[in-house]
Amino acid sequence: MVNLTIDGKQITVSKKATIYEAAKEAGVHIPVLCYAKKLLPYGACRICLVEVEQMKGRLIPSCTTPVTEGMVVNSISDEIRKVRKTVLEFLLVNHVVECPVCDKGGECDLQDLTYEYEVVTNRFEGEKFDLPTDEINPLIERNMNRCVLCGKCVRVCDEIVGYGSYSFINRGFETKIATAFDRGLNCEFCGQCVSMCPVGAILPRPFKFKARPWQLKEVDSVCGYCGNGCTVTFGTKDNEVQTIRFNDKNGVNDGNLCIRGRFGISYVNSDKRLTRPLVRRNGHLTETSWDDAIQVAVAGLKAAGDKLGVISGARLTNEELFLVKQLAKTLGTENLDHSGGECYKGVTEGLKETLGIQASTGTFPQVEHCDAILSIRSDFYETHPVFGMVVNQAVRNNEAKLTVIADKRGKFTKLPNARTLLHKPGLELNILNAICSVLLDEGLAKTDGIEGLNELKDALKDYSADAVAAATGVGADAIKQAARELAQADNAAILLAYGLPYTAYSKELGTAAANLALLTGIAGRPGSGLYLCGEKANSQGAVDLSILPGEKGLGAQQMLAAAGTGELKALYLIGEDPLTSYPDRALVEKALEASFLVVQDLFLSPTAQKADVVFPATSFAEKDGTFTNAERRIQRLRVGITPPGEARTDFAILQQLIQEFGGQAPATSAEAFAALAAETPGYEMVSLEMLGPQGYVWGGDILQPESKKLLPVAGAVAVDGDYQLLVGSSLYHSGTVSTGAKGPMAVVSEPYIELGREDAAALKLVDGDLLKLKAAAGEIQAKVKVDRRLPKGVLFTPYHFSQLELNRIYRGQAAIAVEPVKQ
Amino acid sequence: MFKEFAKGLSITLKHLLPGNCTTVQYPQQKLEMSPRFRGLHRLVPTQTREKCVACYLCPTVCPAKCITVESAENEAGEKYPKVYKIDLLRCIFCGYCVEACPVEAIEMTDAYELANYKRDDFNFEKERLLKS
Repeated sequence: MVNLTIDGKQITVSKKATIYEAAKEAGVHIPVLCYAKKLLPYGACRICLVEVEQMKGRLIPSCTTPVTEGMVVNSISDEIRKVRKTVLEFLLVNHVVECPVCDKGGECDLQDLTYEYEVVTNRFEGEKFDLPTDEINPLIERNMNRCVLCGKCVRVCDEIVGYGSYSFINRGFETKIATAFDRGLNCEFCGQCVSMCPVGAILPRPFKFKARPWQLKEVDSVCGYCGNGCTVTFGTKDNEVQTIRFNDKNGVNDGNLCIRGRFGISYVNSDKRLTRPLVRRNGHLTETSWDDAIQVAVAGLKAAGDKLGVISGARLTNEELFLVKQLAKTLGTENLDHSGGECYKGVTEGLKETLGIQASTGTFPQVEHCDAILSIRSDFYETHPVFGMVVNQAVRNNEAKLTVIADKRGKFTKLPNARTLLHKPGLELNILNAICSVLLDEGLAKTDGIEGLNELKDALKDYSADAVAAATGVGADAIKQAARELAQADNAAILLAYGLPYTAYSKELGTAAANLALLTGIAGRPGSGLYLCGEKANSQGAVDLSILPGEKGLGAQQMLAAAGTGELKALYLIGEDPLTSYPDRALVEKALEASFLVVQDLFLSPTAQKADVVFPATSFAEKDGTFTNAERRIQRLRVGITPPGEARTDFAILQQLIQEFGGQAPATSAEAFAALAAETPGYEMVSLEMLGPQGYVWGGDILQPESKKLLPVAGAVAVDGDYQLLVGSSLYHSGTVSTGAKGPMAVVSEPYIELGREDAAALKLVDGDLLKLKAAAGEIQAKVKVDRRLPKGVLFTPYHFSQLELNRIYRGQAAIAVEPVKQ
Repeated sequence: MFKEFAKGLSITLKHLLPGNCTTVQYPQQKLEMSPRFRGLHRLVPTQTREKCVACYLCPTVCPAKCITVESAENEAGEKYPKVYKIDLLRCIFCGYCVEACPVEAIEMTDAYELANYKRDDFNFEKERLLKS
């Protein structure tokens, strides 16, 4: 710690702090343009100049100067004022003053400073910038005439996002921020640059000319897309979420968001939303009143007796999931499940059987300080982009060794010094086994107090690094090196995402990852962690609350099968679109046709179109409650807008249904939370008051495993066939709901089949050609996207789009053998 | 004292003489307004569009909250007021909107005969304000 004096105030700060940070802590305001909390100091704007007694004769930039013992700092004096004013005058020489039409007006740092320092005239004359604006991309508007060259966009894109879209080009007065070859932006569209820009040079295009900052009401909530649980702050006006505001004070994401969080909100205000209940009469879905719809649903469900099933989505709040559970209990069924029933088994069975817990062991911010990171599947960045940014920071700031076990290249494999174990599709398990076997062979494994070591050793005989290397196509040395790094790192993390398109080997992968976590000592060690991250906003909450089949109950897949054969008479689907997103379309179709179907959703999804009763529900922006993110952080959602038409919250609908069936339901969401906390392991001590701005992590920063049992996992066998199709998630979308949002749809608007350049050349395909894929179970057809990231013989398609009918051929396999036919 | 009294009264008497009356015979006769008079608002047009750029400063500063603006983007990519409305029944004619306008797009005319028969007629939409 270092002692210093700022404007007469004595303060003690960390020796790593800069003068600016120390001043902030002391409550002394120093103006800045180029400083950002999460970026490395840069010193571009020279607004933050201060006087330091020990360094007389010149002014010192406070944002880049580290504090020293006994430093005496003056943050303001006549000279500093004069210099700052001059700096502003310099900036305003070229800056186009178009505040009336600039959307930043009202929250522009340059505008505020100009006002504060009373820069009303300019002693300097120069030409105003007259550069073309970037009108090509749909989401981010760049107007370089307003740029003050603070470099924040360049740095955030490089340091945090790791994409590197921007750079300074030219020299002197000509200097500007540009993209590669000055061609206009074509990137991930995460919009981090938008949130960083201190002026109106980079703005969100969907919000263009919509409102002024001071007209917006800000509501802090949690993003409803993936399990990362980022804080999103709605800017609402006229009962619409107009935009997402920058907020780096709340939550776990430090103000970082991805395209979905920042630009994918518009589905909540979509005019395609359901506004009235629908009931099937004479074969057609017709609008009706709530009373009528509820009566029809109750009659239908009653007629089914206990031969019914409840399938929920994982984007309901904890309170609503609690009511789902109550409803199933009231209906007298144990047939209760969520998210397709397969994908989460790595957590509920894999982790449960080995570590005795059903959650990730660490928290996200810890990963930033890790020395070694293992990501299973490169898709982790696609499913959890903001967590991916944390990994990127670990790699850049902490020189973490990143290993990616992947069947295709991706964002992670491009990070500096990342080692990609590029294997044949579906063989992740074999590589995990091989890493475990290396640890045991080389004596690197931490085996104290671990059960099942001998069984595992026996089982791993066939999985020596060399054998696995030969089978998977990965270098043996790379596997060994990865194992060594993981074992020797002080802090290490293992990441695995699960979700609907990754149902294959889900349990086995969870178990194998847990084995590895035990052998490396990661599980339960402070600073390290095993992260199994759910695809949906409240996947972890659904697992915590045990929205799972009871002992005699059926899982989602079995329910659908049973409904198809008539064993189950009725199905109640809440926030799920199985027809689009569940594996095996034939199974789902049969089930939906045969049963009495009640669907509760935002849109008239393909599943809802088959329903007998459709309840219009509300989005996450319209309700109160809590989500539990993939690191066990319970965070609060808040009401941003009122629901459209007669739509009701899932909570209200479930509440009424429970009462109709004679059950007792909590009256408010707060009561529901108290009730669920009382009976959910890990939540016992949690109350709503404890959920502060950063939420509350149940089980603490490090969740200790309850058991340490190694379980042997058999490896997988590679799929035969010259061409194999991988199913997964696209970075720009999440689940099926993002296809109702304008932002993601502006970038990826239709399904595609991605293939590598080699295959494209062999098949004589170019971008945009129509390709048909024939598989054993059927065929699909979509436009081609040629990329560099797929190895030869591997194709990829995202699962979000209903029109692709991907689940005609996808039945939960790790990879699908296909035959491509050019159309 | 009497002297002063007579002097004062003489002014009064002078005004009683024909031709010295300050009251005019409204509505047959109307006074010319001072250039600073704050009457009905007028939106200033340019060759192709209204001068207003929909910056929202006038509705923000308006103490009576009588101005409604909705901005949008026109074909040329410029910001323009899709809706500009003044509810004259609420307006207190303070002139803050004129003062706040950064582009001198709104001014106040000398029109003060604003009585009307229907409430709706006090709603001055953009087209009407451009012509006033």
